[in-house]
Amino acid sequence: MRKIITIYKKELKDSLRDRRTLFMMIVLPLILIPGIILLMTKVQMAQAKKAMGKEIKVAFIGGDFTPELIQMFAEKGRIQFIKDSPVDSVEILVRRGELDGGVVITSGFNQLVSNDEQGTVRVIFKKSDDAFGVLEKRLISTIEQYDQQIVDKRISRLGLDKNLFNPIDIVKTDVSTTREKLAETAGGFLPYLFILFTFMGAMYPGLDLGAGEKERGTMETILSSPASRLEIVLGKFGVIMTAGIATALISFASLNVAVQLFPEIPVDILDIISSMLGVKMVALILTLIIPIAIFFSAAILSLSIYARSFKEAQSIVTPLNIAIIVPAAIGLTPGMELNKITALIPILNVSLATKEMLSGSINWILLSEVYASLIVLAGFSLWFCVKWFNREETIFRN
Amino acid sequence: MIQVQNLVKDFKLTRKIRKEMGEEFKNRKTLRAVDKISFTCHPGRIFALLGPNGAGKTTTLRMIATMLKPTSGTIEVGGYDCQKNPQKIREKIGFMTGQTALYDRLTPYEMVKYIADLHEMDSSVFESRKDKIFEMLKIHEFANRRIARLSSGMKQKTSIARTIIHDPDVMVFDEPTTGLDVMTSRAIIKLIRSCKDEGKTVIFSSHRMGEVNQVCDDMAIIYKGSLFFNGGLDKFKSEMTHETFEDEFIHMVGEA
Repeated sequence: MRKIITIYKKELKDSLRDRRTLFMMIVLPLILIPGIILLMTKVQMAQAKKAMGKEIKVAFIGGDFTPELIQMFAEKGRIQFIKDSPVDSVEILVRRGELDGGVVITSGFNQLVSNDEQGTVRVIFKKSDDAFGVLEKRLISTIEQYDQQIVDKRISRLGLDKNLFNPIDIVKTDVSTTREKLAETAGGFLPYLFILFTFMGAMYPGLDLGAGEKERGTMETILSSPASRLEIVLGKFGVIMTAGIATALISFASLNVAVQLFPEIPVDILDIISSMLGVKMVALILTLIIPIAIFFSAAILSLSIYARSFKEAQSIVTPLNIAIIVPAAIGLTPGMELNKITALIPILNVSLATKEMLSGSINWILLSEVYASLIVLAGFSLWFCVKWFNREETIFRN
Repeated sequence: MIQVQNLVKDFKLTRKIRKEMGEEFKNRKTLRAVDKISFTCHPGRIFALLGPNGAGKTTTLRMIATMLKPTSGTIEVGGYDCQKNPQKIREKIGFMTGQTALYDRLTPYEMVKYIADLHEMDSSVFESRKDKIFEMLKIHEFANRRIARLSSGMKQKTSIARTIIHDPDVMVFDEPTTGLDVMTSRAIIKLIRSCKDEGKTVIFSSHRMGEVNQVCDDMAIIYKGSLFFNGGLDKFKSEMTHETFEDEFIHMVGEA
């Protein structure tokens, strides 16, 4: 045990003096998480605001048939009417981006409506250019308002009750708490982030303590010392795991700070987020992160030991990113839930279990299944790493 | 003392390596790096393992240092069998190569302390031995500077310090002067000689005949994994049929 601690302490000191490790472990999560959150939200909000306030250029064909509708559009403002476009060219102009949209009112519209019949209003828009749905909302909502006005007039003229046409009053009662709603939307993203940061944090020390050591020729120094192979592996592995977990914790803290800094979040939601990212929750999520960090550390160290150089190790370990991102990303899919099968799939199970923990609806039986599968995976990967390190063909592959 | 008996080391050949090595190795699954070699290194004497690159010198020394396991044969270091008590052997040896093999982000003090801690040295013993070695090698002035910022001479001194900090009984030098300048090579040769004076068992490998002639008492010539000569330097010289060491060596292995 003494030798393991000696190796651990030395490797930790060595890693903390490595700028790349420090950057991946501390600087990146500290800057990246608040940076991404603040930047993305600010940009998105600014874009939405800009889109809402923008004056739209809309071709009106047959506006003479319904001056009331034209009046309603005019009252809403921020709209430029283009009246001279030929009907056939509106679609083309919208597709080209020369117009934002088009409203085509069929001839005899007024006559049809006056006769209690149905008239057609065609709305032309390009959804792919309307990221926030502003155009669609502004055009269609005004037409729907106009539609409702006509219906109301017809009902009152006929002296009928409005409820005649609305026999069912649908009252929606959503029993999910704000916390559950938040967990459903952001809950998938958080574990994805933590899994990724655990891996990223473990990656550089992993590469350096295996392949880097081989490249520098220091592997022989340590192999000829009284430390056994098992002690060497455990010392190195401990540092890699520490780096992975530390990075995940730093990203937690960083996220917490980022959320507090964000002024647009209402206080009640902020309280819920704070409780979601509180010490108790962090401790609970950490119980999932630790076994996954063991797995990552053992896998990275095994690959790193196998490589002849740091560069080769990088090229071997980098594709592993995909193997981690894919199951973590599947966890983001709406409707994806923790069940008997998904609880056994590594990484995906961490992602889904974290989501459940955040929403506060934990199925303890499934959670124990997740723990069991993670412990087996962690144990196996560590056993493999030790065995791998004992192979002469691995250590002296050169 | 180091006793090597009928030592054999085979390396598995992967398909890729077989392909790289050409027709001769196409159907071979293993490569014999060391083939039934036997020799003894005595305390207070310097034993040289002489041979060209790829002869099997490093493999032999790595087996002595228990980094590699022999395929067959035995190695005893200080009375311990390398298969049964590898850790005991590693406690007794100091292993050094031509590469300084140091951690760039540590200081010489931290590097030497690390090795001492792995040997579980008592702190007072470490301090006095460290002071003695640092004084001898004049390391004190750069003891707390990061190794990455040291000159190659300073690095070599640090490497010597970390090799001898635990006062090993057996010293293993694997081509210790390869790639070094004259001054640093001289320092290493001086270290090898001082180890002999202290009564340690010293084995070193080299492909330089002149260097062997300069320091060794006993020698073995190894080529393609087999021994061609094993005995004292005086005996070798007396049996020489050619004028120089180089010619004698080429003559010897040329017959193989």
